[in-house]
Amino acid sequence: MISNNSSSTERLKSLKSLNASHPHWLLILTFGLLLFSVLASIAFGSAQISIGDAFSALVCPLTTEHSCQQQIITNKIIWEIRLPRILIALITGMGLSVAGAVLQTITRNPLADPYLFGISSGAALGAVVIMVMISSSIIGMTLGAFLGSFLAVLLMLMLAGKNAVRVERLLLSGVAVSFMLSAFTSMILYFADPNAAANLLFWMMGSFANTSWPDLIAPTFVIFPSLFIFFSMQRWLGALLAGDESAHTLGIPVNKFRLLVLLMCALMTAVLVAQSGGIGFVGLMIPHIARYLVGANIKRVLLMSCLLGGSFMIWVDVVARSVLAHQVLPIGIVTSAVGSVFFFIILRQRSHSG
Amino acid sequence: MSQSSLQQPLLSVQNLHWSAQGTSILHDISFAVSAGEFVGIIGPNGAGKSSLLRCLYRKQEADKGLITFADKDIRQYNRNQLAQKMAVVLQESPTDFDLSVLDVIKMGLIPHKSLFESDTPADHQIIQDAIKQVDLCGKENQSFNRLSGGEKQRTVIARAIVQQPQLLLMDEPTNHLDIQHQIEILQLARKLKLTVLLSIHDLNLAATFCDRLLLLNRGQQIAYGPVTEVINQTHLKQVFGVDAEIDRHPFHQGLRITYDLNAEKSCP
Repeated sequence: MISNNSSSTERLKSLKSLNASHPHWLLILTFGLLLFSVLASIAFGSAQISIGDAFSALVCPLTTEHSCQQQIITNKIIWEIRLPRILIALITGMGLSVAGAVLQTITRNPLADPYLFGISSGAALGAVVIMVMISSSIIGMTLGAFLGSFLAVLLMLMLAGKNAVRVERLLLSGVAVSFMLSAFTSMILYFADPNAAANLLFWMMGSFANTSWPDLIAPTFVIFPSLFIFFSMQRWLGALLAGDESAHTLGIPVNKFRLLVLLMCALMTAVLVAQSGGIGFVGLMIPHIARYLVGANIKRVLLMSCLLGGSFMIWVDVVARSVLAHQVLPIGIVTSAVGSVFFFIILRQRSHSG
Repeated sequence: MSQSSLQQPLLSVQNLHWSAQGTSILHDISFAVSAGEFVGIIGPNGAGKSSLLRCLYRKQEADKGLITFADKDIRQYNRNQLAQKMAVVLQESPTDFDLSVLDVIKMGLIPHKSLFESDTPADHQIIQDAIKQVDLCGKENQSFNRLSGGEKQRTVIARAIVQQPQLLLMDEPTNHLDIQHQIEILQLARKLKLTVLLSIHDLNLAATFCDRLLLLNRGQQIAYGPVTEVINQTHLKQVFGVDAEIDRHPFHQGLRITYDLNAEKSCP
């Protein structure tokens, strides 16, 4: 062990143990970060708006103050462009992170996420098929994404066969399905006309641009009830971490429960992919950070993933729309770049600690 | 059955058969365990000890035969009811997730809780009592993965206590433990004042700690009864293929088995 490294590892360790003993403070802090993120990110964008103006625009509909009349344009920008966009980023971040945390729990594999399972690939394929063959209306795409992700889960279970109860088989067949469905998507892209292909490609890389209030309806009605259900099932989720057989002896219908959770994750992912395209690494990375901060206790991991995921996605969107002048960077590029650096750091830390 | 005619057995197994993929694993097993008894299942590797336990906690369904718990067919209990009455201590499986001791022990509440119920002060009391009983005070927030083998086993036993069962099933609870911790775990299990059915490899420990023994070999029941009836030279030779001297232990008057290491191996 190198000496200057060891002191920083020590510090990290003491920080970690401190966090483990005060998880409540950490959760409150992260909640504060989320609130701050929502408010502060309103100020970022091509039109210059100060945080103060942003805040007064937010409360305007609640007051009849005279000053509100004077900044109608600012209000319009904030209420009709920025706020829906921030909220969809928030919901997407929360949904993907919690889906990742839940999938990692039911498979007892810290590397599971909607991508690894082919759920995202299925959703993308379904949406692309609808876009190419019928129309790019959001309802059609959501339905297509939906069917695609259910197809992915179905294929995965069929491939895993009678032994779908075995977690390893489930993971491997998920990876196989993911590649298979991505291949179909690539094929469609290859044969589509160049204009449509460019559009599809941009959509697949993920973006929150041009989000309006009606776009929030489906994600809201899917993600928040799902989060609620997962939170109320946290005892069962936690018990799965100790092994299937042990969960069985506690009276949990393990296989049915796992199937239900898989389908719910498919539903969440499908809605988010249809709305915002493919956004990778979030479901993998955020639960990792959450566990690092608060330990493996499932209740805290779910809460932390929710809060962190929301904040993270909001800032990713801020970066995506401000890093290049007059152009929006696809969200998927930013999350993948951040994600790969993140895993590089984890890898280095692991090889140091043993 | 004559011994338990006064008291109805808590658990009774009649003519149990179980096979996996056409191979018979358990063949015609019948025994009964009365409330408060401490019963050991012994037999060589592959005798069907774990398979029998798995039939009892319904991880697998028996092909034939009847298992009754408190005079009711176990198939008539739903999952929760069974988990409220029967706790199982398995050989712990490794996990990548860093659960705390408290996280693991809290799982014992699951059979008593509906989905939306949160923990009550009474639950916390139950958990604290369990922690005290297994002597893990002060270790609640430690990482389960970093405990010693004995402490892990005690954590899982605490989880079983929180389940507040009538019957405790244990699958080789002394496996991979040094002798001090093997004794510690068995003493702890006896102190719980529960009906206990456990599989165990060490015959001397089985003879010392158990009230009755069930001897299995290749899925067949060879003997069931008080320790002195089950542990004898004929059985040990027939089932384990070892010659042994059996006498009374000078300290505690239990049976003592001394293996004859110089006996000639006979080819069957």
